[in-house]
Amino acid sequence: MASHGAAPAAGSDAARVEVSGTGQTNQPAYPPLVSGDHSWSSTTGAAAAGSWNYPVANQSQDAVYYDPQRDVSVSGDNQNVASSAPPAVQSTMGLTNASHSHVPYSSSLQHGYNPAEYANYYYNYPQATNSCSVQQGGANQHSGAAYQPLTSFQNSGSYVDPASNTYYNAGGHQTAPGYATTNYYYQTDTRNDGSSANNYAQSYQNYPSSDTNAAQSSSTVPANSFSYQQQYNQWPYYYNHSVPTPAGNPVAGSSNIDNTVVNTTSGYSYPSMEPPPPGTTPWKSNSGASVVPPVQAPSVPEPQNQYVQQAQVTPGFQNQYAYQAPGVPVSQNYYASQAPAYPQNNMNVNQVPLNNHGDQQKSPNMQGSLTTGIYSSENKTQIPTIPRIAPGFSMVIPKSEKKILGADLAKKPAYVSVSVPKNDDKAVQNGSDARSLPFSLRNYAMRNLSRCKDEAQRAACQTMIQQITSKAISNGTLLTKNWDTEPLIPLPENLLTMTETSANNSSSLPTSSTPKRRLKSRWEPVPEEKVTEKVEPLAKALMNGYVHNNLKAQNTMGNSWNLGKSLQSPHAPSSKISHRLSKKQKMGSYSSVVQNGNTSSDSDKEKDLTKYYANASAVANSPEEKKRREHRSKRFEKSKDSPSKSRNSAVNKDAMARIHTRRPISALVTGSYKDGSSLAVEDMDWDALTVKGTCQEIEKRYLRLTSAPDPSTVRPEHVLEKALSMVETSQKNYLYKCDQLKSIRQDLTVQRIQNELTVKVYETHARLALQAGDLPEFNQCQSQLKRLYREGNNGCYFEFSAYNLLCVMLHSNNKRDLLSSMASLSKEAKQDGAVKHALAVHAAVSSGNYVIFFKLYKQGPNLNSCLMDLYVERMRFEAIKCMSRSYRPTVPVGYVAQVLGFLLDGEDRLEECEIWLKAHGAVLSVDNSGELQIDTKASSSTLFMPEPENAVAHGDASLAVNDFFARTL
Amino acid sequence: MAAYLSMGEAHRRIADYLSRLDDAISQSDGADLASLLAISSAPASTPLSDALAAFPDFGRLAADRFPHLSDFLPSLLRAIHSHSLRRFGDAYSSFEKAASAFLQEFRNWETPWAMEAMHMVALEIRLLAEKADRELVMSGKNPDKLQAAGSFLMKVFGALAVKGPKRVGALYVTCQLFKIYFRLGTVNLCRSVIRSIETARNFDFEDFPVKDKVTYMYYTGRLEVFNENFSCLNQADQKLTYALMHCNPQSESNLRKILKFLIPVKLSIGVLPRRTLLEKYNLLEYADIVTSLRRGDLRLLKQALDRHEDQLLKCGVYLVLEKLELQVYRRLVKKIHIIQREKEPSKAHQIKLEVLVKTLQWLGITMDVDEVECIMACLIYKNLIKGYFAHKSKVLVLSKQDPFPKLNGKPV
Repeated sequence: MASHGAAPAAGSDAARVEVSGTGQTNQPAYPPLVSGDHSWSSTTGAAAAGSWNYPVANQSQDAVYYDPQRDVSVSGDNQNVASSAPPAVQSTMGLTNASHSHVPYSSSLQHGYNPAEYANYYYNYPQATNSCSVQQGGANQHSGAAYQPLTSFQNSGSYVDPASNTYYNAGGHQTAPGYATTNYYYQTDTRNDGSSANNYAQSYQNYPSSDTNAAQSSSTVPANSFSYQQQYNQWPYYYNHSVPTPAGNPVAGSSNIDNTVVNTTSGYSYPSMEPPPPGTTPWKSNSGASVVPPVQAPSVPEPQNQYVQQAQVTPGFQNQYAYQAPGVPVSQNYYASQAPAYPQNNMNVNQVPLNNHGDQQKSPNMQGSLTTGIYSSENKTQIPTIPRIAPGFSMVIPKSEKKILGADLAKKPAYVSVSVPKNDDKAVQNGSDARSLPFSLRNYAMRNLSRCKDEAQRAACQTMIQQITSKAISNGTLLTKNWDTEPLIPLPENLLTMTETSANNSSSLPTSSTPKRRLKSRWEPVPEEKVTEKVEPLAKALMNGYVHNNLKAQNTMGNSWNLGKSLQSPHAPSSKISHRLSKKQKMGSYSSVVQNGNTSSDSDKEKDLTKYYANASAVANSPEEKKRREHRSKRFEKSKDSPSKSRNSAVNKDAMARIHTRRPISALVTGSYKDGSSLAVEDMDWDALTVKGTCQEIEKRYLRLTSAPDPSTVRPEHVLEKALSMVETSQKNYLYKCDQLKSIRQDLTVQRIQNELTVKVYETHARLALQAGDLPEFNQCQSQLKRLYREGNNGCYFEFSAYNLLCVMLHSNNKRDLLSSMASLSKEAKQDGAVKHALAVHAAVSSGNYVIFFKLYKQGPNLNSCLMDLYVERMRFEAIKCMSRSYRPTVPVGYVAQVLGFLLDGEDRLEECEIWLKAHGAVLSVDNSGELQIDTKASSSTLFMPEPENAVAHGDASLAVNDFFARTL
Repeated sequence: MAAYLSMGEAHRRIADYLSRLDDAISQSDGADLASLLAISSAPASTPLSDALAAFPDFGRLAADRFPHLSDFLPSLLRAIHSHSLRRFGDAYSSFEKAASAFLQEFRNWETPWAMEAMHMVALEIRLLAEKADRELVMSGKNPDKLQAAGSFLMKVFGALAVKGPKRVGALYVTCQLFKIYFRLGTVNLCRSVIRSIETARNFDFEDFPVKDKVTYMYYTGRLEVFNENFSCLNQADQKLTYALMHCNPQSESNLRKILKFLIPVKLSIGVLPRRTLLEKYNLLEYADIVTSLRRGDLRLLKQALDRHEDQLLKCGVYLVLEKLELQVYRRLVKKIHIIQREKEPSKAHQIKLEVLVKTLQWLGITMDVDEVECIMACLIYKNLIKGYFAHKSKVLVLSKQDPFPKLNGKPV
């Protein structure tokens, strides 16, 4: 959500609009899914089957098809989907979200996902049980009824809130205010739980605990109460988490769904979350009460709560609506319910099972009224989860809590109180029938108004709210929209960063990471201003305010936003925290994603699977999806940028220093940003930005620049010369050298040094890359060298012409490139040994003459053989195919070994060749004289090219995990 | 001359030109309009250019007289003026402005009456860009005008390649684009244009004008020759053959251009041209290659390729011709086989490797036994020879039936 930062504010309007359209469409689609899931669940007593389907959908945003082979990460996505499923809109959202989250988080994802998965598991199991209950209560109200029994069952008593219980029973009709307060507490709890359980949570740990919980529901109850405060503290964490999610969500947000809106507003969404507290609390109370199966609750809590709320919403009561706002979370509730089951079955099962569960869960919900289904599940699970979370949280919390949370806690209460009056205000202001407006919407309005410092702002804010409301009404999203997660309206004056709205609760800490990212590199083209503008002109201010809004601050304090300050000051503190929490944040983001998935409303009815899929795929291709992708890529940039996030951050003093020192240099750029406009790359005065380095250190790690270079970290030419010779004589491995050379190249580039030294650096790097078989790096150097040579810099032109020829003919295999390369050779070049060799290789390859090829392979000058290396396998295979076709009856292996360039002599060579031949399916036999022969006729039909052993899915074996670590050490 | 031109006379000439233009537009006379727009073929001094030199304020005159064409006429006059002064860079820039304005107008005209003029604009802008680029290179600047012309023509193409009567003119612009892309070496850009031409379902390719079709086939055929995959040579063969069959038989230079690519393609699928053909179209660079194919004279092939290497590389047929080597080997083996059959019918189908090595030595080509053996293996592998190779006895054993199958149009 956080990622939305800038966009979100603007997004609110646009998002809504979109939401209405997409949401509706999605919904229809959704039901089908449910049915599908349902089947799954039934069939899959075990999680596995169910998980398959969903995961797939999540993964491929584009296509909704199931991928059985989906990975764990996928399963995580599944969760989202599953959760989303109940609410039609949500379902699609979930998909998109999930996918989003996936990509960005890849590394971290697993963790986050796992928890989610776990949650799913739980839910699934419960679902089965739940489904029954759900079916019974076709309508929401029914569900309520069903619930109650459950609640009584559960520890609800232990859990807590009478209010919540009552609420529940009442059907959520009770007065909003009362709810709000009670709920608030709950929410915090739930949120904490959710965050802790899902995100942090080391899903695994929770997992076991959940089991225990399930078993011992009673025990869990106490834990819950405990956890409460801890969780409360965690809140901030949660928010932090949520912030990251926004990033993931943004994409989702771009998608049409309501949830998306939430996402875009990322910051906002959090605030919205706060309001939910009231709603949520009830929720929790529900969970508590209902939760007969305590186990589930722990991991899933947040979502569950929300879900419940949704269910309530369906009835159409205002109060219920408030709950809906939380709606996003609702999905989680689902999970929670399932969760209980999970422990039972799959303690061992990892992510995969979880996924299945998630799917299954959906199905149950689908069957009954969605809400009812949700409810039932929720009730069962929630309580247990809380206890668990508490333990987990306690571990985590201490850090953040102490520093930041403390403040938050204090503020929160204030916030709550404020909110109540505001509701009234809003109702009056809107003039619309308060009764008809969802509670959550009123909360939303209150939130917005509470932030206003003076009457002018307030008036502006009111009109805004009215607009938004009327828009929502006209779109039909009034009830379905998750107002609790709706971004707050930017304040006319401060504007601050509405985007970061997360600020409400999360405060600066969580947001810090995301909002900062918002800054992006300045080369980033125009930010999402368009979106923001749509919402309001004010939104522009957002650009400035990467700052987080602290709702608390705003509410209680009422002001305190300095745009300019916000940029920097919040950063520093927040960055630290965020760094620490980064993992958790990611998880949190995940959870938030899930929540978003839920957003949709009650209105789910039966729809077609196919429709659902179609929608999902449409979403994937939609402009929003693209936007999201942009977001994602931006986030990476940013993460690199912010020292705290980068892996090296601790290590890299330089980077840290640079960030601070960099500011002045980049003042120009930043300034432009503040104005809400950004310079196009071509408009920048590059000359003014050309740097004269002053760094005297010879060794420097490569770090891709995301801002203007800082002279103090750039080495001047004479130092670079030393650095080059250092690299040349270094005994360290290629990765180290590559890193060093890249930093040298970078320093040369930023200082615009283009001379013999530059050529030498590139040549050195190209040679090293060749020796290491690093073609991509080689190609980079080669293309730079081509340009440098063309511009008249001296170097080993012939040598690299030969490499170029070999590269083109052997690897790119592009006839036109080859022709132009050959045509560009001068007469002198053709007389050069290396070039001649390369041309001879070409002739051999073109006529398929393997004998000549391997002769040339052995005599390659310079590093020609290194390039040929990469073609040897193919050439050998071609050769053996040719031989098995043309020779009869046999060919001696000895001859093949000799001709095909197996380098060792004697027996070893024979052996090597024999191994190779066998690996490629040749049929060998021993003739009368005892010599090993290839049976050509038999071989001709059995030859095959084995899969390369070191093949990796992403196609670049050099990106192996180990190497990756080696680089970053 | 210009110096003697009175202001009044200059004014009159310019006004005359402008009114003719205006008339052509108002009367929807495409041909007339096109002739008025042909500026690059004009000699350095024309009555109009003299008048423009004598009456420097022609821009305002045009804008005042025909305000509805104020985007178009002043720029056009400036382009004509700059062109007559041999300032091609300026001429191009002005003409591009005029062309943009014209395109705008053209879009608004519902009927394609101005197609001829539009084509003229497309042609002119390309020619001017080429001249401008030459000028820029001479002055050491970056020649980017042709590229700009390419993007302008893409706009024109966009305006033409739509449903409706204007589509018939799209192929002409496509061909102009091909010319630009081939000259710039950005052939890959052709692909999008080709796609939109060939995937159109509502317009039959045959409905385009013949001259455009021929040009189009010529260029797409050349593209196929460039293609990575040699099996595309069949495509190239079809397209170039189409171009040859439909080309105006009077236009020898065009026929020669087509043949220049068609002959190598045909050679690679085993079709040899008569020498008279090569002589008629002055394509003697292929003569030696054809001879070497007939004789199995490997040395001659290598010599011929060496001699014309630069030229062949430039037009992109070198790699195709290089592949003829195996066919020459095949011919050589065939000749040996024929001789052996006469001398020693019982062993006609067994050709000893040493014989082959010795033959090559006679041709001045030194290869060791392994290399020759490999070549024979390749010939068998690629179906140029039927038979097998016995490694133990170092003998190439030919099939008794049809040891040298015809290529049947299959490229090697």
